[in-house]
Amino acid sequence: MMNSSTEPARSDGLAAEPLSSVYELSDVTKVYGSGNTLVRALDSIDLTVARGDFLAIVGASGSGKTTLLQLLGALDRPTTGQVTLLGRDLTTLGDRDLTRLRRDTIGFVFQQFNLIPTLTAAANVEIAMATRTDSAHQRAERVSELLSSVGLADRAHHLPSQLSGGEQQRVAIARALANRPAVLLADEPTGNLDTQTGSEIIELLNQLVESANQTIVLITHEPAVAAAAQRTISLKDGHIITDTHD
Amino acid sequence: MFFLKYMLSELRRRRGRTILTALGLAVGVGLVVMVNALSTGLDNAQATVLRPLTGVGTDMSVSRPLKVTSNGSGGFGSLSKAEQKQLRKEIGGGPGVNFASLGAGSKIDSDTLRPSGDLTFPSSELSKLSKISGVASVAGSLTLTDTHISGTVPKIKITQSQTGGGFRGGGGGFGPASGALNGGSIASSSRTVTGVDQTKPSLAAVTPSQIIKGSYFTSTGHADQAILSTGYAQSKRLSVGSTISLDGKTFHVIGISSTPLGGTASDIYVELATLQKLAKYEGQIDTAEVEAAGASDVAAVSTAVTKQFKNSQVTTAADLASRVSGSLTDAKNLSSKLGMALEIIALIAAVLIASLLTLASVAKRVREIGTLKAVGWSRLQVVRQICGEALGQGLLGAVVGIVVGVAGIAVINALGWTLKATVPAATTSASSAGPGFGLGQAASAITSGSTAVKITAVASIGLIATAVCLAILGGLLSGALGGLRAARLRPGVALRTVE
Repeated sequence: MMNSSTEPARSDGLAAEPLSSVYELSDVTKVYGSGNTLVRALDSIDLTVARGDFLAIVGASGSGKTTLLQLLGALDRPTTGQVTLLGRDLTTLGDRDLTRLRRDTIGFVFQQFNLIPTLTAAANVEIAMATRTDSAHQRAERVSELLSSVGLADRAHHLPSQLSGGEQQRVAIARALANRPAVLLADEPTGNLDTQTGSEIIELLNQLVESANQTIVLITHEPAVAAAAQRTISLKDGHIITDTHD
Repeated sequence: MFFLKYMLSELRRRRGRTILTALGLAVGVGLVVMVNALSTGLDNAQATVLRPLTGVGTDMSVSRPLKVTSNGSGGFGSLSKAEQKQLRKEIGGGPGVNFASLGAGSKIDSDTLRPSGDLTFPSSELSKLSKISGVASVAGSLTLTDTHISGTVPKIKITQSQTGGGFRGGGGGFGPASGALNGGSIASSSRTVTGVDQTKPSLAAVTPSQIIKGSYFTSTGHADQAILSTGYAQSKRLSVGSTISLDGKTFHVIGISSTPLGGTASDIYVELATLQKLAKYEGQIDTAEVEAAGASDVAAVSTAVTKQFKNSQVTTAADLASRVSGSLTDAKNLSSKLGMALEIIALIAAVLIASLLTLASVAKRVREIGTLKAVGWSRLQVVRQICGEALGQGLLGAVVGIVVGVAGIAVINALGWTLKATVPAATTSASSAGPGFGLGQAASAITSGSTAVKITAVASIGLIATAVCLAILGGLLSGALGGLRAARLRPGVALRTVE
């Protein structure tokens, strides 16, 4: 089902090949609030994510999973410490550079799918490419290719409300892959799906890793999903308590 | 163009929100269109009423009324010796009939032409007035009251209680409507005659536009031509082609003029020079009609005239307009006072509604906007998207607003509102010339009465263009507010796990 020939053609000018690691986190701390309301969401985290890793982050509610995903997704900055993505220190980048970095190197998959309800499946995929300079024809070809790769070629003109949960998440995965990202970040991708459909999504992600050496980091509550990943880290109170990589 | 596709999808698929926002703007725009069109209609109606009243080209009339204040000061005593002498001479001649020379059975047919209240002044004043900065043109006119006495001297029985006999001419007034004497057949009547400078028809006391039958003074042979007012012609059963006699001179009636509401009217209009000669008032006029170079000059010219021309009274078109009352004036006042307030309130409400709906929409789309940012949309692109949608709603609002406005105008016009313009019977300064002079009633009475004017609301292209701009501006404003709110959202809001 997946297109195995999609070796990313980097548009951000970063030399991806020589780097074996996608992420390098060193001594990362994230604190919310102050005084009595101070919450240490992440506390001195060190983490390396290698190219082609399929990493599952597990942990109870409040353990720091989402905070970690936000830092990895360049959606937030750490209070202290350093986060590098493909060799670039995210803590030193401005908003504009972070926006471009997200567009070109990170694909997001959300628990609620986060599709635009008024747009068709095809337009929802295209939205990730809308800010690029590709021609409309190039974009249309790429959209078609992506929807085919997730098995939804015949659903291109359906609205999200006309698609099943699993189909919506496939559209979201197609959107996440639109710009050939270096890393796919998934936030509870099966959280809103039944077990069967959830398994199919995990299978799809696995294929991505195997066929395209896609790096994937996902958050999950579900042991079955975590078990499907090559590597799992457990968070508790902002600390990594286990890492199957070690 | 993806942004356009996205925008249109949003507008189409979130139909309820789109319609509600557009309707909010449309009501505001529609009200602005309607109120403005109605206001224009009222302006037009007022202009229709005032146009004949103010004359075609006259901006102000300059006269020299003899003013008597309520405490009795002013009046004759305020005049210079020379003026007092002139006035005595003018009015001192009584009815102009030497009754003493008349015996019983004698026939009387006499016309006496006298100024009618305003003091006369030399027409050389016109050239002085024309030199005032801002004056475009001036023309003089002279209005006289013609006291006509006709009949046969009755035989009078002298009783013991009566002393003296016959009639004595000279001093004392002679009431214009004194009627027959002592059961005899002598009758007196008065009529007003105005001499007009027919070389300046637009400034004349009777203008070509007032002619409802016949024609205006011709360029040649005008010396014995007369134009009559409708009322006078009817009461005397005269029409175009008839002849009238004025102090022994025969005039041919060439036209009948209508009297505009609120305007001043004479019974008879003849050429100025002819009247001056006939009444032995050569070179004298009692009114100068002045045309200002522009509407903005009127006030300055009025002040300059009053300053330069002692004891003069300047009556501007605005003064004339202020005489008009009635529902038209009430509606006009209401529209100028309330109309503007209504428009502002409607627009503020419309923009507020649009802004609140856009903000509510942004609040509902937090996750969507976060997702856009997460997938690499810049703030500018997000703001552009939100603004574009608001602009689309604004455009839709403009279109619906114009439809609402035009429909409203159609309803207003279909209702066929007629409003009344009323000019009350007013006394002019002339009538206050005071007792003792026997000047009689004012010569140029203001035509009082009411006229009904149909209100036609008019929408102009300019008005519609303004309405479109307002709706777009309203849309953009609401979009800017929504866009700024959206721009401040962090992309992290796209992630909503149970953390």
